[in-house]
Amino acid sequence: MTWVVRLIVVVPAIAGLAGLLLGRSRPIARGIAVGAAAATTVLALAQWVAPLRTADVTTFGALPLGDLSVPLHLLSDRLSGLVSFVVALVVLAIQTYTVWYLRDDRRYPPFAAGVSLFAAGMLLVVQSSDLVLTLVGWEIMGWCSWLLIGHDSERAAARRAAYKAFLVTRVADVAMVVGLVTLSVRARSTDLLAVITQPEGAALLTFGLVCVVIGVAGKSGLVPFQDWLPDAMEGPTPASALIHAATMVAAGTYVIARLFTLYAADDAARTVLAVLAAVTMVYAAGLAFAQADLKRLLAYSTLSQVAIMLAALAAAPASVGVGPGIGHLIGHAFFKALLFLGAGWLAALVGSTALAAMAGRGRSDVLLRWGMAIGLAALAGVPPLVGFFTKDTVIDAALEGIGDGAGFRAWVVAVALFATVLLTAAYCMRAWLLLDTPPPAPTGVTEGTEGSLDVEAVAARETERPLDVSERHREPEAVDETPPARPDHHPLHAEPHESRLPAQLREAQLLPLLRTVSVAALAALTVLGALLLLTLAGSLHVGWLSALVSVLLIAGAAGAVWAASRRGARDAADVVPDRVRAGAVAGYGADAAYAALGRAVIAVARLVVVLDRDVVDAYPRAFAATAHAAGRAGVRTHRAVPSVALIGVVAGVLLVAVLGVTAWR
Amino acid sequence: MAVTILVLIPLVAAIVLFAMAPSATADRLVALVASIGAAVLAIVVSALRLDVDVMWIRSLGIRWHLAPDGVSIALILLTALLTVGVVLHTLHGPPPQGGSRSTLLGCVLLVEAGALGTFLARDALLFFVAFEVVLVPMWVLIRRFGDHHRTDAVRADAAGRFIFFTVLGSTLMLIGILFLVYHQGTSDLDVLAAAHADRLSHGLQVAIAALLLTGLGIKVPLWPLHTWLPAAHTIAPTAGSVLLAAVLLKMGTYGIVRLAVANVPAGVATLSPVLAILGVVGVIWGGLACLVERDLKRLVAYSSVAHMGFVALALASGSHTGLQAALFGNIAHGIVAALLFLVVGDLKEQWGSADLAVARASLRDSAPRFGVPLVFGFAAALGLPGLVSFWGEFLALYAAWSPAPGRPVALLRACVVVGAVGLAIAAGYALRVLRIVWAGEGGNPAATPVRDLRGVRRGLIVTLVGAMVVLGVGPQLLLHLSDLDAAGVLGAVRR
Repeated sequence: MTWVVRLIVVVPAIAGLAGLLLGRSRPIARGIAVGAAAATTVLALAQWVAPLRTADVTTFGALPLGDLSVPLHLLSDRLSGLVSFVVALVVLAIQTYTVWYLRDDRRYPPFAAGVSLFAAGMLLVVQSSDLVLTLVGWEIMGWCSWLLIGHDSERAAARRAAYKAFLVTRVADVAMVVGLVTLSVRARSTDLLAVITQPEGAALLTFGLVCVVIGVAGKSGLVPFQDWLPDAMEGPTPASALIHAATMVAAGTYVIARLFTLYAADDAARTVLAVLAAVTMVYAAGLAFAQADLKRLLAYSTLSQVAIMLAALAAAPASVGVGPGIGHLIGHAFFKALLFLGAGWLAALVGSTALAAMAGRGRSDVLLRWGMAIGLAALAGVPPLVGFFTKDTVIDAALEGIGDGAGFRAWVVAVALFATVLLTAAYCMRAWLLLDTPPPAPTGVTEGTEGSLDVEAVAARETERPLDVSERHREPEAVDETPPARPDHHPLHAEPHESRLPAQLREAQLLPLLRTVSVAALAALTVLGALLLLTLAGSLHVGWLSALVSVLLIAGAAGAVWAASRRGARDAADVVPDRVRAGAVAGYGADAAYAALGRAVIAVARLVVVLDRDVVDAYPRAFAATAHAAGRAGVRTHRAVPSVALIGVVAGVLLVAVLGVTAWR
Repeated sequence: MAVTILVLIPLVAAIVLFAMAPSATADRLVALVASIGAAVLAIVVSALRLDVDVMWIRSLGIRWHLAPDGVSIALILLTALLTVGVVLHTLHGPPPQGGSRSTLLGCVLLVEAGALGTFLARDALLFFVAFEVVLVPMWVLIRRFGDHHRTDAVRADAAGRFIFFTVLGSTLMLIGILFLVYHQGTSDLDVLAAAHADRLSHGLQVAIAALLLTGLGIKVPLWPLHTWLPAAHTIAPTAGSVLLAAVLLKMGTYGIVRLAVANVPAGVATLSPVLAILGVVGVIWGGLACLVERDLKRLVAYSSVAHMGFVALALASGSHTGLQAALFGNIAHGIVAALLFLVVGDLKEQWGSADLAVARASLRDSAPRFGVPLVFGFAAALGLPGLVSFWGEFLALYAAWSPAPGRPVALLRACVVVGAVGLAIAAGYALRVLRIVWAGEGGNPAATPVRDLRGVRRGLIVTLVGAMVVLGVGPQLLLHLSDLDAAGVLGAVRR
């Protein structure tokens, strides 16, 4: 059975490579991508049902490194089984959906291959029993995120967003690498079991664990690394779903869960994590409320939700373990994937991702409407959807942490959690009202947001760019029920549709079906997902009192938003002052701060180049100049005084002659 | 005997090529047969570990002692196989400017002969002789066959710089070798390594180590002795750049292992803080320079300085893991730099310059066969796992964090943190290049696209990409090769 464990990583990796090499033809690329995702899901299901409960599945054999043991093992237990299965399931839904979403994109084959490779990276992190393999999967995900976010590389915004995402996470990875090295050095091994059972080296341990927290903060978008994620929305929507739902941003939670034994005993590292997570959770939820773009709203909600997972790990008592954090990871994977796929569908309908343009368009399709409703309700934590169970398990764990004597960090987390519940319910309600209330006047799509026009103008960077692109590309399409416009779609991508052959007709009917199936499947999982969690100890443990409080908070917030929006007649965010709102849409200058840091590094780099040329290189140039000068001087002396030389020669000859004669005598 | 023939094949072929009339067409045959023959023989010699050991200059006690071992086999194979690649690349391109093709090929083969001799030599003075053989042909490659879009003075400057730096380095190394040989009474590297320099005073060991490290550090190149490299790489033709990066720089690090680490271990241990600091300064310095560099070839050269900084850091750790990391990183850089210089060289051939500020069509759309290898190459340059260079860099950081006993732990750990920052900078410059060249930032979509890669040149680049992936997924292949002999080199330190 060990081959199942290996194949779960190998199948998507090979699908990625094969997709790159053989992906000229679209049908083959589709077959590889969806087929491999389905196969991985079956394998992961098998592993979940019958985990091997082992942590030494060999891969390529250990590395011969003398004093360091690098066994490169994989593991298989209930935790990895469940997470792998969920990841595989979400990836399958996304690959299926992508076939529809990128149906006219000539870069579909490399995109699908990138998604496969991305999945391989995440599954490697999940199955890894070796810190080096964890790092390998971690970095591969980062690289794939660069490829996927920059998919439409004709657009400067996409290029910049991809660059920003990779650089910001990579800067945090500096700490990740140092942290993993520190942990390995303690145990003289990179094997996960050896690392978490090593008793010695407490000071280094805290340092290493804090470094890992910083690394995780980068990929999971904790403050101060949060700003790459909203910009990453420049990628096509399936890429956003992939990055947000089950892979990159959630990977940090899983890594920390794997090292939980070490964290449980280290208060300092957990306090750092608790503070970062608590701040991010509330801050991102607040920003989500003010967003003018559906995808960016979802991005901020991801930041907030991922922080909830990490907060669970920071606050839960050792006896509770990783269940609450992982449980929320899984619940979030379902409803966030659902929301993104729904958002992509909506965006394809209206040709934009701006909330203003989507007013009332959620009603276009009954499945879409229900899907968005279920997704937003689960995000808000409405019972009995999966989000309710997982979020309230986290709250319960934090409260138990307070009881367990965790003190400061558990308090911080608990307070932040309740604040986040309130804010989350508010922004979910606002988004729902915007999507579901038809605009009063049928002529103008943007009229649903009267009064917020100033903000729109300020936020032009975010909202108008997609509109701008899509408007150039509005051609009616006869057969497909949806117009081909895709907000992040470049005109160059379109393939001509002059003559429709029967095969294309069939395809035109089949493709929307794929989209419908994936959205429906995710909606079902969002409703029933809590059942999966029954198999993971500690991931379902809802306290009655805290659940009651959070339900009341949700109801209150939703009611307040409903009132503030005048029963959906206007955008609830209009109550926020325009200046605050514009700031929130722009992320309160985080982007400018990153850019300033980048400029500072570039300034240092220019200095380095000047030093390199004018100081370091001055010595060789000075040497060359000296040599030239000496040479010229030599030539001049030679030329200037021939007579002196001649006298010398003559004198020498005389001297030799005299000596010779004397000696001969 | 076979080993002697291995060195003689490229040497004799080079002489034949130099003697040919410029109009002769047999140069193709001679160069191909010689380089492929040498490659096959190199594989045989490495697999069977054939050696030769006869007296060469009796009065000086210098032996003709050539033998491959785990430390050198990978380098021998890299040199022999890459030479085949360079010869094929030259034959399938436009005729070289500045001289006849036979002369260029002769220079390539002469460099190969010298490099193979260096990697095989087991006698310190034989090592030196072989080390010096590569200088003149490389000078010719830069001076005569260099970039003809630049003025003659620029070519003269680059070539002169190359000669000045490397000859200075060789001289220092020779003094170090002579000191060592004089005090130990033998020039046989096996005997020298077995003696552990036990009879030498610590001061003398440090002096010898300092001479050897400085001399060889110029070749590596270590910061601040690196300023010859960007100039040489920018001007050299593609064949020269590839050999320079993949073979000549490797001779420097190999020499440090073979001459300094093995023979004067205590001296190297004393100097290891300096080595580590210069290494990480190189990492940061090279990386930062790449962030603003406009010339793509110069940029790749500066990235070489950064990558070799990691190798120096690994060597400074003094541990078995560190030596393994250094040897691995050496090969990794050889493959990655060869790939990048081939791709960039071919691009420059068509672009006319390698200036990043010129608006061109993006490679992603207009020339994917250039684009994909470029993405792979720069992904490797930033140390992406799954590609070859990740292992060398990660293991270097690990090794420096837990160095051999007696090394300055705190300082080395500080160097690890700085080196890790270098990884982030590497990501910055790698993605900067890809953003401009591959994705078309600031480009001109309407510009005439380059002709995409075809035929043999494409095959070469695909092969190198394959090697990067294979060794990136299975680093054991190389690590097992050098495991035992790396332990042997460190035997002196451990005792």
